[in-house]
Amino acid sequence: MKYLILIISILLFSSCEKILFKKDMGSTNPLDNFDYLWNEVDKKYSYFELKNIDWDQMKNTYRPMLKDNSTEVELFTVLESMLNELKDDHTNLISPFNVSQYNVALNGAKNYRPRTIEEFYLQDPWRTGALKHDFLSNNEVGYIRYGSFSSGFSDSQMDLILDRYKDTKGIILDLRENGGGAIFNIPKLLGRFVESTTLVGYSITRNGEAHTDFGEKENFYITPHGNVQYLKPVVVLIDRGSYSATTFFAVATKAFPNITLIGDATGGGGGLPNGGQMPNGWTYRFSISQLLDLNDNNYAENGVPADIEVAFDWNNLETDEILERGILEIK
Amino acid sequence: MIFNLKNMNTLIKLTLCISVFSFSSMIFSQQNGKLDIIDRDVPQKYALSSIGLTNPIYRDFATSPLFYSGIGIEISRAWMKRSEERERNFGIGFGISFQTARIPESNFIQPGSIAGFGKFDIFYQELWKIEALSDSKNNTKVGGVILVTQNIRGNPELQNNILGLENISNLMASAQWTRDISRTENKILNLWLWKPTLKPVKRDLRFLLNVGVLNFNYRPGYAYAYDSELNGMETNPVKWAYSNFKWSLNGWRIKTQLEYIQYMPNGNARSLSYVWEASNVPGKFENFQMAIHQLRYTVYFNCKKR
Repeated sequence: MKYLILIISILLFSSCEKILFKKDMGSTNPLDNFDYLWNEVDKKYSYFELKNIDWDQMKNTYRPMLKDNSTEVELFTVLESMLNELKDDHTNLISPFNVSQYNVALNGAKNYRPRTIEEFYLQDPWRTGALKHDFLSNNEVGYIRYGSFSSGFSDSQMDLILDRYKDTKGIILDLRENGGGAIFNIPKLLGRFVESTTLVGYSITRNGEAHTDFGEKENFYITPHGNVQYLKPVVVLIDRGSYSATTFFAVATKAFPNITLIGDATGGGGGLPNGGQMPNGWTYRFSISQLLDLNDNNYAENGVPADIEVAFDWNNLETDEILERGILEIK
Repeated sequence: MIFNLKNMNTLIKLTLCISVFSFSSMIFSQQNGKLDIIDRDVPQKYALSSIGLTNPIYRDFATSPLFYSGIGIEISRAWMKRSEERERNFGIGFGISFQTARIPESNFIQPGSIAGFGKFDIFYQELWKIEALSDSKNNTKVGGVILVTQNIRGNPELQNNILGLENISNLMASAQWTRDISRTENKILNLWLWKPTLKPVKRDLRFLLNVGVLNFNYRPGYAYAYDSELNGMETNPVKWAYSNFKWSLNGWRIKTQLEYIQYMPNGNARSLSYVWEASNVPGKFENFQMAIHQLRYTVYFNCKKR
């Protein structure tokens, strides 16, 4: 019996899971890592069709650039180039020495100069949470600058801001170069400018190995939010630097007649990104869903066009033409 | 702050060694020589409180091909009604640990990942004696257990998939063998300079094996992302977190426990056990695998003392 106990004990203490689980897949081999990432993107990336990308061709192009003894820098460079073919800022490769980014904003003109607004428009701006705001045009227009959806604000802070501008003719919400962030802040902000719960779009997510396999549409609703609503005209300023959550925001505004988009098209970022890790420990993310407007169009990934297109004139740094057009629209 | 695997493994081993050393006093502790503490024919009711050191290891293929391993603690509470013929257990447990990824060694700059792992368990077990495999020294029981485990994992390195959830629910076949290893007479230990006399003591050695028969799991959808987060402001947070999750009936789960129980004169008992469990959870799309090693100290409070 003592021997039986000994045998059982040895079995128990000897990490039995090692024989039950598949082998450890950790690897620093460049080709293993290339194949892993290529496969993950192939299985789950959501915009192959819209962007007309032949992913098999990408493998044929980039894999031969690597060998078993390629360095980590060489591996990163090849994977970065391959991922940048997706032209998607929701696609990044993160290593301890570098982070890849496509940088969509560089594809368009720059349309935002903070100093012009600070110097020539704002008199006594308040900073409430992540929002900078002030009166414009003889107190007829309220201006709210929101630089990142990653930055928060409380409901009471937003109540205060909207109460401050309740007697204006309209509000300008400046989302230029807002690169996105927490998607929860979209309904929190946009819900202040709507009267009733409204369907504003849909999201569909990859659910199969074919590049066109997507699940059912998920409804995207905006519901009135907070204690103070502002239902007068609202102008939202956008540009190519308006990305991700700002693109979601821009698509959603299309459902509301009191909201007008002015500036340049947004940068895109209509896909919700996932996250993952490679066999060598580097991490990555890429888009796995598509944002659709109410007509099921998925153009948001390439940018949401402005209702009124205006460009910043860099020959006159004392005037913000996009902001001026917004003021004109409200007045 | 980055721990590498080597440091974490050393820490785990060191902690387990210290624990074993600490608990060894229990094994050599003296009793008052009473052996009739428990009347085996009368059902005994116990409330059990346990604390354990755990070494969870898991791998979620939906986000990483790498194993994560770490160390943490688990506390549990259980209620037991036990007789020679039958045994019933109901318990809940909570464990928390920190994990590091088993990342292969880089010859450039070593990546690192630290994750948090929380685990909630609830179980109910019924066992019945098998006469043919029992005698005055051995008691063998078989039966079943319903074991429900909910994992909550957090890993900031995984970007938008920072949150990992899975539910593993199993109906398991159960077998338990208990050996009465009471010391019935004084025994002198010859430890060279120290020769302590060990008095008679009532004690059991128990081995429990649970094997999954019906293995359910609740795992994320194909792309493992919270694609309905757009509705997050309007929906119930639990509904949001589990959106697109799917139930599957597949995989396997095994749980074993080797327990040394020593009874005290007042009818209470305390035990030291080694618990090991392993699960393979294929889900609908990608596997989740988990193994947990635990060194557990339990106090049995006799609720119906003589």
